[in-house]
Amino acid sequence: MKFLCTDCDTAMKFKDVTRPEQGSVTALFECPDCFTEIAMFLNPSETQMLKSLDLKLGGNNEAAQPMQMVRSQLETGKTEAMPNEFSPGMGSSETAEGGKCPFTAVISDAFQEEAAPAEPSGPGWSAEALERLERIPAFVRPMAKMGIESFAKDNGHDEITAEVMDAARGNFPAQF
Amino acid sequence: MKTYRELPSDAGSNIIGQVTAQANRLQKRLASVKYTVAIMSGKGGVGKSSLTANLAAALTLKGNTVGVVDADINGPTLAKIMGVRNATLEYTPAGVKPAITVLGTKLISMDLLLAEDDAPVLWNAHTQKDAFTWRSTMEVSALREFIGDTEWGELDYLLLDLPPGTDRLPNVAELIPDLGGVVVVTIPSEVSQFIVKKSVTMARDILKVPIIGVVENMASYVCQHCGEQEPLFSAGETPDAAFQQDLLGSVPFDPKLARSGDDGTLYLHEYPDAPASKALMEVAEKVQAFF
Repeated sequence: MKFLCTDCDTAMKFKDVTRPEQGSVTALFECPDCFTEIAMFLNPSETQMLKSLDLKLGGNNEAAQPMQMVRSQLETGKTEAMPNEFSPGMGSSETAEGGKCPFTAVISDAFQEEAAPAEPSGPGWSAEALERLERIPAFVRPMAKMGIESFAKDNGHDEITAEVMDAARGNFPAQF
Repeated sequence: MKTYRELPSDAGSNIIGQVTAQANRLQKRLASVKYTVAIMSGKGGVGKSSLTANLAAALTLKGNTVGVVDADINGPTLAKIMGVRNATLEYTPAGVKPAITVLGTKLISMDLLLAEDDAPVLWNAHTQKDAFTWRSTMEVSALREFIGDTEWGELDYLLLDLPPGTDRLPNVAELIPDLGGVVVVTIPSEVSQFIVKKSVTMARDILKVPIIGVVENMASYVCQHCGEQEPLFSAGETPDAAFQQDLLGSVPFDPKLARSGDDGTLYLHEYPDAPASKALMEVAEKVQAFF
């Protein structure tokens, strides 16, 4: 799959991928010349197909772990199968998108679906802003979140507040 | 405007590179395996897994190092038949250490990873709706990992026990381009021969995979009192005539063989002088002679 910025006639580059929201992954691509971004939404079946092939959007520089697909994706696996390394058995509530199994982190990383969000490298979110973020429809929330964070960073905000969201609103088609 | 082929890469995901890395990992593992043999049958219930377990035992008893992949991802039975259901798989950076039978045969099976006896293979997904679109891919990836990520060590033979049907062999042939050959299992009934012919056609004519030969399982019944053998099924054609392939052996039905599978005690090991054991040893000899 390749993406072309039709304005610049330049191949777009992978920029980021979100953790799955309701089974759907969003990948961002950016034109290296004009910095236009596009989002590609994978529906749950497409996301699952990517998982089943054990492929990572944006490339994979991690060393492969033995049986990493089976160990991370087998819902009905036993916990003691490989006790010295990980627990492949995963209850559905734990594994839906970002399991508690230690090994799952390897695969979760491949799909950016960590159980807890990674330490933020950019601005933090105020409680009010987070509440507003939650009101954004799930299918556009990841993209909106990234866009707002990008806006805040570009404009020198250390924290994303409701005011920052208002300021960013004009930059996005989705209303929040 | 540039076209697809004029763009230098897939925007940085390098999907082809990732797939190539997976294939390289598999080939690196297979480099330590002399011969890979798929045991298949178009029909279920012909004793294919039982035959695989005992063929592996026979080859092991003949001094070979043997590994077995239970390629029936959704219906794995070999861990039970081979008596290693309680084995705990061990993870190492070099791979997953397989279960090892009393004879020293190595086995990897989905059964060794499942939590409960009655647990089906269920893959983690946001929803199981429309799972038909990706479940087969999961299974093939699992098979690739079973073959490529198990720490087999040096093997003379790697046997793959395929599920019934013709659909898994093409997957195996793609994963293992140098597949040594296929052993086809049937029983002497017209129904079995009718279905198994499709498997032979798939292997021989479509996939161009070498067929080592046909094993006729449950070929007869051995009287437990007088030792006389009687037909168990109304045979159609003889196997070599039906399939136009070499007959590797006719294995008589023996209730003790079924019981050994239930108990996880290898029949060949327990009853080395039984007619079925002798037939199985002959099959192993012919498999060895093929290579």
